[in-house]
Amino acid sequence: MTTVGQLVFSGMLIGGIYALMSIGLTLIFGVLRIVNFAHGEFLMIAMYGAWAMTRYLGLNPYYSIVAIVPAMFLFGVVVHRLIVMPALDKPHLVVVFATMGLSILMQNVALMVLSADLQDVPPILGGRSFTFGPFYAKPELLIGFAVAVACTLGLRFMLQATYLGKAIRATVQDGEAAQLMGVPVPRIFLITFAAGSALVGLSACVMMPLFSVFPTVGLNFVLIAFVIVVLGGMGSIEGALLGGICIGIVQSLSSYYIAPAFGQMFFFMLFLLVMIFRPAGLLGRKGEATLGIND
Amino acid sequence: MDAAPPRAKQRSGRWRLLPERGTVSLFELVLLAVCVALVAAPLPQYLQDVVIQTFLWAGLALAWNIAGGFAGLISFGHAAFFGIGAYTSSILAANYGLTPWIGLWIGGVLSTAFGAVLTLVCARLRGPFFILSTLAAAEVVRIAALNWATLTGGAEGFSILPIASIANMVFESKTTYAALMLGYFLLIYAITKTVEGSRYGYYLFAARDDEEAASAAGVNPLLARTGAMSLSAFLAGIGGSLFAQYFLFLDPTHVISPELSFQFALLPALGGLGTAIGPVLGSFVITPLSEMLRSYFGGAAAGLHLAIYGGVLVVVMLYIPSGIAGALQRLAEHRRKGTP
Repeated sequence: MTTVGQLVFSGMLIGGIYALMSIGLTLIFGVLRIVNFAHGEFLMIAMYGAWAMTRYLGLNPYYSIVAIVPAMFLFGVVVHRLIVMPALDKPHLVVVFATMGLSILMQNVALMVLSADLQDVPPILGGRSFTFGPFYAKPELLIGFAVAVACTLGLRFMLQATYLGKAIRATVQDGEAAQLMGVPVPRIFLITFAAGSALVGLSACVMMPLFSVFPTVGLNFVLIAFVIVVLGGMGSIEGALLGGICIGIVQSLSSYYIAPAFGQMFFFMLFLLVMIFRPAGLLGRKGEATLGIND
Repeated sequence: MDAAPPRAKQRSGRWRLLPERGTVSLFELVLLAVCVALVAAPLPQYLQDVVIQTFLWAGLALAWNIAGGFAGLISFGHAAFFGIGAYTSSILAANYGLTPWIGLWIGGVLSTAFGAVLTLVCARLRGPFFILSTLAAAEVVRIAALNWATLTGGAEGFSILPIASIANMVFESKTTYAALMLGYFLLIYAITKTVEGSRYGYYLFAARDDEEAASAAGVNPLLARTGAMSLSAFLAGIGGSLFAQYFLFLDPTHVISPELSFQFALLPALGGLGTAIGPVLGSFVITPLSEMLRSYFGGAAAGLHLAIYGGVLVVVMLYIPSGIAGALQRLAEHRRKGTP
């Protein structure tokens, strides 16, 4: 019983971190209705950024948030201006292949500049564990989970209560009507894309103490992120958190009871099952996946 | 579901660069002659290798295009079909002594079954949802192959005995392989042209461009789409067997990787989606280019050729979404306007 409890507990924590990594993708999908296939590479360069700040400036990754998050916001602005915006009024294939091209470009430039070696940062808190009754957890995992929950709540508050949040929701509901009511839709798209990229930067800093970084690290994580975004209901922020936690628990239990290698397979199968039986995800609106919104 | 790629306008009796639906153009005949010459020419080994890969990828890109271009079923999971084909014929040959000449059809049939089931269960999904489902399905196949080590050899890989004989489908001369791959490519090109000009092809285009209108006009979109994906999967599976017989080594990380699936989609996208000649041009330009960049810069700058590839893809997608075929078409029309 304790084993199961421990597995569910650590699965939940790691799932929170997966969710944090997916929130940017969810936000961008929810508002712009595009899937950014370079999302994993955004994470990769942000992780390298956090790693470099530790390696060369001696800053711990949590402090590097101050620099990485604004830098990723700017990077998001540039990518939106150069690649996403020109592709928005074209068939959705264009944005799929253009972001895919960007992903290949970034991955291989990283390979050329930084080599394929795995890089990581030394443990920050001395590798200690916290105990909660019968369960224990690494402090880095707890911090990551806390940041994920805080981000979800913060984003939800922003969307509900602020003017920008209302403008974003209006754009999602009806872009044309929003435009007529004076919402600057193109700027909303820009801000959303950049904010989504900044969130990737935040999650990279939180993940750096837990995972190694290498040029193709993005592919591993982006597949998980896609699964989470779909599972949570494309575009739903709380859904992403719930989806992330589900994935974390499924991975943790199946790795322990069946085989570590099959852990990944189970969540891809879970993903396919969700797609087949509940295409709108756990918390998504019905019919979303079948409407062909982006066509 | 997507906007139709621009096609040659019907102007009979005028000089044309690119072939039109259901006809054969001078351009295709010249290309065919060049291909035959490339097989027959006494090229150095490494160039023959480039020729072989170019033909194989032309065939694979054409196979993808039947689903992705004609039916609008953008798949990022074709590596699964390729891998199923490659492993089936190789395992049948190694464990049961069945010649790959028969095994490749069995691999193709298994790929077809997988493709048909995938299309049917994902029948309601559109756009990015369908794409991601194909990606996930291919990952399931990859992880299964990686862990079913008793059958596939797992991560250590699966070697095919390099004993040259016709029954083993292993040859000493690269010329034979080049001829084999050319045959594969031409077969798929002929199938593509036949589908393109047939009533079935028009069903596919109709279902792709406007599903509701197509069903109102009596086309069964689900049936049309499933057929296209099955045919595409079948041909990709056969390509996988041929690949196995040429490289003589398989491992899941290379044969069923997401990167391989992307390659399937990128060649037609660069060449010109939904046309017969587009995927061919894509492979004929990109495969030699990436092989040469790899051999020139290989050690010094690992990844350079892929970085260029990625950059080119972004630019082509944003500025010439109809690909190389579309650009050539525009060039031809421009020149024709120029001459009185």
